[in-house]
Amino acid sequence: MTSPRRTAALPPQSAGGGAGRGAEAPGGLTLRVGEFEGPFDLLLHLCRTSEIDLAALPIRTITDQYLAHLEAMDFRDLETAGAYLVMAATLIYLKSKLLVPPDESAEQLDDEGEALRQDLEERLREYARVKTLGAWLAQREAEQALVWGRPVSELPPPDDVPLEDLSVHLLERACKRLVDEQARRKPREVQPEPMSVLERMTEILAVLRDTWSALFSSIVGAERHRAEVVVTLLAVLELSRLGGVRTQQGELFGDIVIERRADAPAIVPGGGEAQPTRE
Amino acid sequence: MPTPTDVVEALLFASDAPLEAERIREVLDLADAGEARALVEALRARYAAADSALAIVEVAGGYRMVTRAEIAPWLMKLARSRTRARLSRPALETLAIVAYRQQASRPEIDAIRGVSSEGVLDNLLERRLIRVAGRKDAPGRPFVYETTREFLVAFGLRDLGDLPRVEGELVVPELAAADGHAETQQDPGPGGPGVTPRG
Repeated sequence: MTSPRRTAALPPQSAGGGAGRGAEAPGGLTLRVGEFEGPFDLLLHLCRTSEIDLAALPIRTITDQYLAHLEAMDFRDLETAGAYLVMAATLIYLKSKLLVPPDESAEQLDDEGEALRQDLEERLREYARVKTLGAWLAQREAEQALVWGRPVSELPPPDDVPLEDLSVHLLERACKRLVDEQARRKPREVQPEPMSVLERMTEILAVLRDTWSALFSSIVGAERHRAEVVVTLLAVLELSRLGGVRTQQGELFGDIVIERRADAPAIVPGGGEAQPTRE
Repeated sequence: MPTPTDVVEALLFASDAPLEAERIREVLDLADAGEARALVEALRARYAAADSALAIVEVAGGYRMVTRAEIAPWLMKLARSRTRARLSRPALETLAIVAYRQQASRPEIDAIRGVSSEGVLDNLLERRLIRVAGRKDAPGRPFVYETTREFLVAFGLRDLGDLPRVEGELVVPELAAADGHAETQQDPGPGGPGVTPRG
């Protein structure tokens, strides 16, 4: 198998790549076993674990393994999933091109299929090289990180800017960044402060003075902001505790009838402590 | 009265970019670049003899004064950071492709990696490890990218010839040669046309 022998050990994965089993990569995949940087990476892994020669891919085997892996994978973003599926489609197409009857030892493809397979093999080799180089660069980076020098200046002095170093791309990005920052400042909605429980209690008593009884739903009002409902409920419970009102609920989750009690003590909900004459 | 070696030391300290031998020659009004290199070697020898915390490395076509690797723990404490932000694997692989092809377009890179490289390229551009070198004369007129001097410095390479060859096996060229710049320019590897190192 033509696997490139690395002279340096594979460095640990950085935060971007993620590592380990079932690890989650931002914008990447959640996998059960290991983590792959794309369909070629997965194929390479399959070839290595099955000791497959990259110069002679066994289409049937590799396709089945690849598809099996795909089923176990959890895709987090559509674009990555697409890339994997394109490879799956390619492999399935290749498999369909295998000449019948299927020969266990030597797979045969028609001309088009053969050309396709060789293309795939070449691309896989190319990726294998890139992967090895990436690992080597990572090693170098790690070594260089231990060495400090005067920071290489980002920009030459203003009167000396070589125009070929600037690119439209950098300007575009700077512009985009400014625009994005502007867009971020959105006006915030201010919620009105809900009435306090004590205020509510006063209000309820005032209502009951006129009507003797009232429904909870009518006291709460039409808007039914959650905060208001909670405050109203607390007010009713507190009034009930203090003996100011009587409550009745006909059915489960039904409306609540609130009645003024004839023998209600003088309740002073606001201003200091309400003196409970009971309990 | 400072010796020429002292002056070279000062120049290396003050320079915020790798200093080429030619520049040293110019500043000191020497006969040729070889004399400049000799002075740098003299400085190196002095540092080695004194077991100095500093070293002179050859990178990006010039010389640079740096701290020795052993001192790193203290420097990290000074910088109040445990590690510097490292590049992710996709970033490294993309960088590898650009480094080898020097004028790689995004479609090419995507085809090799098998996935989209948009975000990664932005990141590398941001870090100034690559730059836009122009547009390719192909459908869509995509940008082509090449590596920068910062790339060489960040990875401790003298020039692109220091990149290893990969043909079945990883062949790493002789790096940080004590006797100065290696004469042999190695073909950096597959895929790209013969790459000539840029200064």
